[in-house]
Amino acid sequence: MCDQKKTDNKEEQQKDLAEAMQEKSSRRSFLKGLSIGAAAVSATLVTGCVPSADAATNEELRLRWQEYFKKNYRLMTQEEKDQTVSRLERLATLREGLEVQIGSEPPVKKVLYGYAFNITRCEGFMECVAACIKENNLDRKTNTQYIRIFEMEPGKLDPSEGDGKFFHEVPVENKFYMGTQCFHCENAPCTKACPTKATWREPDGIVVVDYDWCIGCRYCQAACPYFGRRFNWGKPEVPKEEVNVKQHYLGNRLRPKGKMEKCTFCIQRTRKGRLPACVEACPTGSRVFGNLLDPDSEIRYVLKHKKVFRMKEELGTEPKFWYFID
Amino acid sequence: MNENREKNLRTFIVDVIRWNFRGSIAFQLFRLVLIGCMALGIYAYSHQAKYGLAVTGMNDIVSWGFYISNFTFLVGVAAAAVMLIMPAYVFHDPNFHRVVIIGEGVAVGALVMCLSFIMVDLGGPLQAWHLIPVIGIFNFPSSILAWDVLVLNGYLLLNSLVPAYILYCHYKGRKADERKYRPFVFLSIFWAFSIHMVTAFLYQGLPARPFWNNPLLGPRFLASAFAAGPALIALILAVVHTATPYKIDRSVFNKLRLIIVISAIINLIMLFSEIFKEFYFPTHHSISAMYLFFGMDGHNSLVPWIWTSVCVNLAATLVLAFNPGKNNPKVLLPACGFLFVAIWMEKGIGLIVPGLIPSPLGEVVDYLPTWVELSVTLGIFALGITVVTWLVRTALIIEDRYGK
Amino acid sequence: MKKLPKLGAGSLAAGLLLLTLFFFDTKWSAASETSFLETVKGHDVQFDNRSVRQVLPVSQPTVLAKEEYQGGTFQVLARKQEIERYRCSSCHIVNGGKEVRGKNALTLTHGNVVVNHGQEGNALACIDCHHPEDRESLEDKKGRKIDFDHSYQLCGQCHFRQKRDWLGGAHGKRVANWAGDRVVYNCTTCHDPHSPRFAKRFPVIYSVPLK
Repeated sequence: MCDQKKTDNKEEQQKDLAEAMQEKSSRRSFLKGLSIGAAAVSATLVTGCVPSADAATNEELRLRWQEYFKKNYRLMTQEEKDQTVSRLERLATLREGLEVQIGSEPPVKKVLYGYAFNITRCEGFMECVAACIKENNLDRKTNTQYIRIFEMEPGKLDPSEGDGKFFHEVPVENKFYMGTQCFHCENAPCTKACPTKATWREPDGIVVVDYDWCIGCRYCQAACPYFGRRFNWGKPEVPKEEVNVKQHYLGNRLRPKGKMEKCTFCIQRTRKGRLPACVEACPTGSRVFGNLLDPDSEIRYVLKHKKVFRMKEELGTEPKFWYFID
Repeated sequence: MNENREKNLRTFIVDVIRWNFRGSIAFQLFRLVLIGCMALGIYAYSHQAKYGLAVTGMNDIVSWGFYISNFTFLVGVAAAAVMLIMPAYVFHDPNFHRVVIIGEGVAVGALVMCLSFIMVDLGGPLQAWHLIPVIGIFNFPSSILAWDVLVLNGYLLLNSLVPAYILYCHYKGRKADERKYRPFVFLSIFWAFSIHMVTAFLYQGLPARPFWNNPLLGPRFLASAFAAGPALIALILAVVHTATPYKIDRSVFNKLRLIIVISAIINLIMLFSEIFKEFYFPTHHSISAMYLFFGMDGHNSLVPWIWTSVCVNLAATLVLAFNPGKNNPKVLLPACGFLFVAIWMEKGIGLIVPGLIPSPLGEVVDYLPTWVELSVTLGIFALGITVVTWLVRTALIIEDRYGK
Repeated sequence: MKKLPKLGAGSLAAGLLLLTLFFFDTKWSAASETSFLETVKGHDVQFDNRSVRQVLPVSQPTVLAKEEYQGGTFQVLARKQEIERYRCSSCHIVNGGKEVRGKNALTLTHGNVVVNHGQEGNALACIDCHHPEDRESLEDKKGRKIDFDHSYQLCGQCHFRQKRDWLGGAHGKRVANWAGDRVVYNCTTCHDPHSPRFAKRFPVIYSVPLK
């Protein structure tokens, strides 16, 4: 008797479930939901999603299409590199009206770049920062700076104890000045972290980014212990008359939005035997640059004869940027 | 109701769509709200796609923000489905067998949200194909992000294909062959632990960030996931129990409570261990923890955030542990809700942002998400809830009919 | 059913083994005791600076330095063309000839030179560097004549540490190029010999704080 009642209840319950699912199963509610959804999606697409369709010529679209599907720069043959470079030059002319020369020079053989910074001689003039901005076409809107200069209290070598935002007459007595930028580590944590190998260390020691291959995940920026990397949060803007037209694919060409960038030891200059802009601009000669594999170079002289140290050496990143005192 | 109609994959899909577009007024209103939120999210994302990530609150110092915080937390929620699978398949608890499918639905929804958060956080989402091996470059095994992509997608496949197979079999009115899917269920138990450890290793493996670079981060992630995930599942099961005719036994809730309490207590022990390490003898490596708990250089926007989270976490854990009211759902379910929110606060913003502040050169800034980030997040949460609703509703209908 | 815990344990062990294999390959490279510096310092082959083909030679006038650095000879930027009133012999007698004299001649001709070289009260006098008879030359403490273009030989008598560093490359700077023939700045290209210390000034730019 009880069992019968239990099974009856169970059947009723199951019937209720089925009915509940079928309630108000009119076509009206189905169509209503669908139409509202479609309206919402189309409204949002019209208001925001469509990219600005200003007069993009067929040629520009064709070039952008080809650029979109290209390989990682490191895997390209020299011919493919020349092709992409000429496409980018043409796109720069079409889009910004600039005549640029984008180089694709390979690394110089038997060269490993090294850098030294004299913390006795730096007086905080920040000529290096200004020169870097001009040379590397850094975004003027967000005041991106690869180089940071810290006013330091003697006795403390940690830049977190220093002041990176000073703006007063320099040098202040009893303070010293220390500069940081990407240190181009031999054992770089950033290149290890990149999921697509869009950043790597070139054979001549420069850690580079292929801007078109980068997906903008910013894992490398989280991994860098020296605040060496900068991200293009928006589209970088450089006034047309200030653009440096002598560019390199891996260096100072105009970067797209949403990509990582960093100091490249002025690859567009150094692969042609010139000093980086920061070294050349320094009025006190605090910066030394050269070939670590050349036993007669200035950088090797500094490493041999001066008291040198590197920042956060305990992390084992092996930076190629040394600090020294006179 | 056409019981004799021929059933195949096409009718399965049609039926799924049909079941989810029908329902009571309350259900339709719920779906409408979700669609509205998703539309807002799409509009905000289009704004971000046009102007770049500059419209978010992120900058070169706080390079990861609200999106990655939510991603981190939700991977834990996805992993927590294992806490339903283990009692069902390893300990053969029949009541848990009934709710496993709901847990897997939640896992799939959480994973969809995780992958969406990653996509909206990318600066170059159109270049995402660069990750695919052969046509792009996949930096496996060096990059932990590559590992994460692999394990998350694998877990998504496991948790969607196994229930899909079971539900399709039940839809067709026959018993699913347990020998076919049992090894995959066991694989997914192991995989659930690994997805969250790998996500933890993303942060743990960075020597540049001393706040994250400690060995306890991985186990801490697991503990907090197995506290927050089952708490959410308990809430969802309560909703299913009250709003639908699919009834769930009390013992499921009691066992979930045990799982939550143990995980939450382990989480608090680990928190205490971290606090001891940072504050007993603070070094330069402790400045991130200093910033988080006490503020630094006048920047203290996260201080009330973390203290609220810790206090609520503690209170909810105590309530769940001491169980006043003796398993009274009116006490336990709010406690679960509060625990979930507290862990979201601590594991999301309370973990990602302080890890990046101060910068490696010692500069302190504050982080505040903008309307774009909040809207996109809302949209993605709505997407996740929609996915879970679709999956759970489909599962319940099929299970109910199969049970007849 | 009984096989399953073993299956689980087996898969766990396999997974852990795989993970450790993957991580050890990276760990070995990082844990090596020798830093890349050892390899660098062991590199003793001279680098052919001419191998960098695109380097542009320095266009400014240079002279061959009278001393050598570790890499051999090098060039120094010439200075004489920068000196306003060079060819001092147009007024001053060099080895006989008529001397030009005038009222307040020193103030009129060299009044802009303020000597601020050395400590307060103990500053250098003009005659400490300039040759008393031959005004077109400098004179060191041993009485040797030193050409204006090679003033480093004079400066180096007192500032011998800086001169040693300058020869090696830790002081001063190369001109324009790191490759190619070495051309460096002369002492007086950067340091005004009468007031060598760099003036205090505002930095040319500042770092914009992020919010």
